[in-house]
Amino acid sequence: MNFSAPKGLRTVGRRRVLLGVGGVLLAAGGLVGAVRTGGYDLGPAHPGALRSLSAWQFVVVQALARRIAAADDPNDESIPSADAVDVAGFVDAYVAEMHPLMRLDLVRLLSFIEHLAPLGVRAASRFTKLDGATQDAVLSWLESNDQGLLRGGFAAVKSLVFMGYYRDPRTWKILGYAGPLVGRPVGGWQ
Amino acid sequence: MSDASGIIRGRELRGDLKLDVDAVVVGTGAGGSVALRELARAGLRVIALEEGGHHTPADFTQREDQMLPMLFQDGGGRTTRDLAIRILQGRGVGGSTVHNTNLCKRTPDAILELWRQRYGVSGCGPTDLRAAFESIERDLSVSEIPAAMRNANNDVLRLGTQALGWRGGQLKHNRVGCIGSGFCELGCAYDAKRNALKVVVPQATAAGATVYSDVEVTRVLYKQGRASGVQAIARAANGEPVAWLDVRAKVVVLAASAIGSASLAIRSALPDPFAQLGRNLRLHPGAVVAGRFERTINGASGVPQSYECTEHLDYEEGSDKRVWIVPAFAHPIGTASTLPGFGARHMKAMRAYGNLAVLSAMVHDETSGRVEVGPGERPLVTYDMTTADRVQLAKGLVACARILFAAGATEVTIAAIPPITLRSAAELDGLSTAFVRPHGLPITAVHPMGSMRMGDDPRASVVSSTGEHHFVRGLFVSDGSLFPTSLGGPPQISIYAFAQHLSPHMIARARA
Ligand SMILES: Cc1cc2nc3c(=O)[nH]c(=O)nc-3n(C[C@H](O)[C@H](O)[C@H](O)COP(=O)(O)OP(=O)(O)OC[C@H]3O[C@@H](n4cnc5c(N)ncnc54)[C@H](O)[C@@H]3O)c2cc1C
Ligand code: SF4
Repeated sequence: MNFSAPKGLRTVGRRRVLLGVGGVLLAAGGLVGAVRTGGYDLGPAHPGALRSLSAWQFVVVQALARRIAAADDPNDESIPSADAVDVAGFVDAYVAEMHPLMRLDLVRLLSFIEHLAPLGVRAASRFTKLDGATQDAVLSWLESNDQGLLRGGFAAVKSLVFMGYYRDPRTWKILGYAGPLVGRPVGGWQ
Repeated sequence: MSDASGIIRGRELRGDLKLDVDAVVVGTGAGGSVALRELARAGLRVIALEEGGHHTPADFTQREDQMLPMLFQDGGGRTTRDLAIRILQGRGVGGSTVHNTNLCKRTPDAILELWRQRYGVSGCGPTDLRAAFESIERDLSVSEIPAAMRNANNDVLRLGTQALGWRGGQLKHNRVGCIGSGFCELGCAYDAKRNALKVVVPQATAAGATVYSDVEVTRVLYKQGRASGVQAIARAANGEPVAWLDVRAKVVVLAASAIGSASLAIRSALPDPFAQLGRNLRLHPGAVVAGRFERTINGASGVPQSYECTEHLDYEEGSDKRVWIVPAFAHPIGTASTLPGFGARHMKAMRAYGNLAVLSAMVHDETSGRVEVGPGERPLVTYDMTTADRVQLAKGLVACARILFAAGATEVTIAAIPPITLRSAAELDGLSTAFVRPHGLPITAVHPMGSMRMGDDPRASVVSSTGEHHFVRGLFVSDGSLFPTSLGGPPQISIYAFAQHLSPHMIARARA
């Protein structure tokens, strides 16, 4: 069995969706093909074993995670780093389960962050090559951008990163969060 | 393939299916489960097709990273088209009732009266619906949440509301055997929720209904103005199709939620001569304010919501009081995503987690959103909040801040971008509310409604007051899509009750 679309089906095209919200990602999307995809080093933890992200996408996520989940006290060794809890590895696995269209939007956003967003703070380099302070400036520019789509895109990336970071029990002690109760004896109301 | 509950897991189907039944229900949330049960109890051959999985309490691990993808549409990432509002909706047997926070409020009489007078809804007044409300409340064991179950976050709301002399009170819920773990929005591992998954779907299968999980309905079929069935795809866990289902039925009940039903109707090119389909969507959008306390709050522990402030809520159309205030504490990932900023400052703010109380202001909205179908035939939601609704949201957030200060907060943060941090209630007097605009602060919607609204006038509604489509006989709507306006409060009991109230019409049509 296979089914075809009914006559008169009204859908909103992808182009109109993107243009309707500013067209920024459409421009960035065009860049995806042109991105230099070589020269991105995955590091020892992920020697080519990625599920959904390519090497350059993984490195961009890793750079984003390091800034978004940066510790408030860099000297406090009890705070696990984004790398230590493998935020980028989590994002890679999470994105693998996403709807392909959502995945495509994310890739476009990563491409935009890597290649165009630095221009927003007059930095003429790729995001992953910037120092931490300039990367933070880029992220602040995105978070408070006049283009709603960029703000929304930043919020999405931030959620993914924090999901990867605060999923790890080692981070819960920063918050004093006790974690799941399943499997533990609990008292309470009946 | 079918487990002890009588639910067939679509992901385990091997080979296409052709089914001939009296009625097919799309979706098994609040509205779908009741329609399914009533059709089965009437002795009809009825099935439900549910696109999400069938989960049991043993699957609920209380971990956000695992439950969001498992229980929510788009893994919790569904948003409006401009990415300004996050829309949380359920996916799976039991629908959004699996991870909701169990608040139970009947449709206010004033709203039912408004629908009768202004929106031409007949036969759905307070007296007409009383029996349905009573019966669903009995089924779900609805009761007032005991004061002893009020956690510190809810107590902050109570203290502040009372200190200001504002109207508020204890809420009702549908839990039995709750141990107050606080993980309601991730599913209840203790099986304490008396919801569609635990109560209504099992009643339906006991009465002879069959439920297929993992089956997405892709088209509603109709011929010469009559519903004739649906087409659907069963998918494996990775989303790959494993089987096609061709279902013939005299009655089709759309219960795929206010976004899912309208988008499916549009995908199916249902007649819509007066351009009503997908219009008038309400989101009941909300945003949060956090107060920092010297005392420990530990808001993640205990029943998440048990108290409400209704000082700024009445149900008049165009009213200047359209805000419902309830606690809104989240687990770490939800909190981290909502707190503005990132990096070191963000982590500093997160360290106050145990001392934060968080309140949410939800707007009884009059903005008319729209459901369309976008790329990949996925739902596309447009929602441009009106100025009047933005003003309401601003007022609500200021009211939350006043409550937090009145309850003893030492610092209050409105989660705007950049964050607005206040040290006393006096600072609220001169506060500019320009931050309440799209992307100016994280806005979340958990109560979508409307989009296929009911009414007797086909020029102003999609379905009649019986829930049947104006132009396709035998096609019914039985979910939050029906409501002509927002309810101003939690909708589940209204959705269950309307499904019950309208079910005799479905039964009559299936028997005809
Ligand atoms: C976090 C959260 C907390 C909430 N708390 C409360 C609360 O305390 N009190 C309250 O009253 N309400 C609450 N709600 C809202 C309430 O749960 C919903 O309003 C209600 O469940 C909606 O019922 P419904 O029948 O319209 O849709 P749903 O319950 O959402 O069910 C729709 C079902 O249809 C399925 N579906 C969609 N498309 C298809 C398709 N094409 N094919 C097959 N199946 C499909 C979905 O997977 C889903 O299971 C909350 C919601 C959320 C997200
Ligand atoms: S608070 Fe009660 S209903 Fe909610 S998850 Fe815990 S035990 Fe279940």
